[in-house]
Amino acid sequence: MMTKPVEAGAPAPAIDIRFGQVGLIQVRIRSTDPGAIVDELTGKVASAPLFFQRTGVCLDVSPLERDPQIEEMRAVMEAVRRAGMLPVGLVGGSAAVESLSAALELPVLAPFRPQTQAVPVVQPADRVEAINPALMQHQPVRSGQRVYARCRDLVVTSTVGAGAEAIADGCVHVYGPLRGRALAGARGETSARVFCQEFRAELVSIAGVFRVFETLPPELAGKPVQAWLDGDDLRFAPLAS
Amino acid sequence: MTEIIVVTSGKGGVGKTTTSASVACGLARRGKRVAVVDFDIGLRNLDLIMGCERRVVYDFVNVIQGDCTLKQALIKDKRLETLHVLAASQTRDKEALTAEGVRRVLDELIADGFDYVLCDSPAGIEKGAHLAMYYADRAVVVVNPEVSSVRDSDRILGLLASKTQRAEQGNGGVKEHLLLTRYNPRRVASGEMMSVDDVKEILGLDVIGVVPESPDVLAASNAGVPVILNEDSDASLAYDDAVARLLGEDLPLRFLEEPKRGFFARIFGG
Repeated sequence: MMTKPVEAGAPAPAIDIRFGQVGLIQVRIRSTDPGAIVDELTGKVASAPLFFQRTGVCLDVSPLERDPQIEEMRAVMEAVRRAGMLPVGLVGGSAAVESLSAALELPVLAPFRPQTQAVPVVQPADRVEAINPALMQHQPVRSGQRVYARCRDLVVTSTVGAGAEAIADGCVHVYGPLRGRALAGARGETSARVFCQEFRAELVSIAGVFRVFETLPPELAGKPVQAWLDGDDLRFAPLAS
Repeated sequence: MTEIIVVTSGKGGVGKTTTSASVACGLARRGKRVAVVDFDIGLRNLDLIMGCERRVVYDFVNVIQGDCTLKQALIKDKRLETLHVLAASQTRDKEALTAEGVRRVLDELIADGFDYVLCDSPAGIEKGAHLAMYYADRAVVVVNPEVSSVRDSDRILGLLASKTQRAEQGNGGVKEHLLLTRYNPRRVASGEMMSVDDVKEILGLDVIGVVPESPDVLAASNAGVPVILNEDSDASLAYDDAVARLLGEDLPLRFLEEPKRGFFARIFGG
């Protein structure tokens, strides 16, 4: 990892603030009985010690029928610790959780929202939505070269040679012959597609579902083609011209 | 103004050294001062094709390491007085080449007033090939009309567009030319070999020359006389056309069709 050279005279900063995302295990508390919690959690930890031992967990008290008292929560946390996990936060939601958070000095973390749950859209009228313009590639992508469009579409106005790779987190558009590989939705976007002007691909992948073309289907070879994901199936069709 | 031209291909055995020797002779024959440098350290061949293998005293690596001056190592051609050869070392390996060493030798050739420096690249994409192309202004990519050669040329073109000084500095990149060798119109017609148009379409570049497959090429190599100097040969005429196109002349491609057999040849076979 490269570190930025520090200018002479200026002291090196003691901290850096970075924004990052980490996966976190949630423990849904259905009972405040410490003995039951220790028993059940110890069993879980023993089943996969590498995964659960000393892992940070977020406690969700929403399944409880009534809001827990502070002393009850201290006992719950102690039980979780004895089982080998480390409580690092509370799943937010109610005013009660906020007051628990202050008393226990544990941060409140945003609750997980399933996609199906309607989320009210709050958007200031004057805010312009940020867009990620596509990565433009005007030179041919030659054999052995790899072009990757991070968090955006990739537009190739030339050819993608055999043995070359055109990769995007969004869609891949090739306005020339696609002879190499095209990988759309590289980080799992299942709605990403691959479009090309002249289909001769070796491999097409969308969100990790791929197909290798040992022989090109005659109905696609040399034609303008698009590929998309239909459930777990990768589909191909000539583009209407 | 010196122009540095790399002759490269990726794949081995397609005719890089034959092309370097003939293009160097062709340029020198038109009065240009030319130095042709063998970058294939450890597999020295250019001196054989040029017919000066017995006059190699010092080589490219000696110059880089300061064992001799560039003047001592440059071998003057006996046929064309503006043509000079810098041989590779047979006893070293490619690690003996360094970027600074190559730059220094090229700078000295530039200071000496050469019009063209031809860099005969080794096969592959390792250090020798990388250094041969790194400082180039133009590239002649030698390709045979068959799939593996075309694939390797595509790879080399990708490297020319990214791993050269011109590409890194962003000043227009290296100017690329394709030169087809071992072209056999009869096998193209029968579908065994790719055509000029196929190769052009896949690589997306213009063709600066098409050299027909010819027994004269092997004979020339064995004799140590670059094939361009054998003026009875189609290969010679094709190389001379390519040199003219390198210098900016606009000539139609020839030797793309099978020669018509005469009436008697058709009747009596032969």
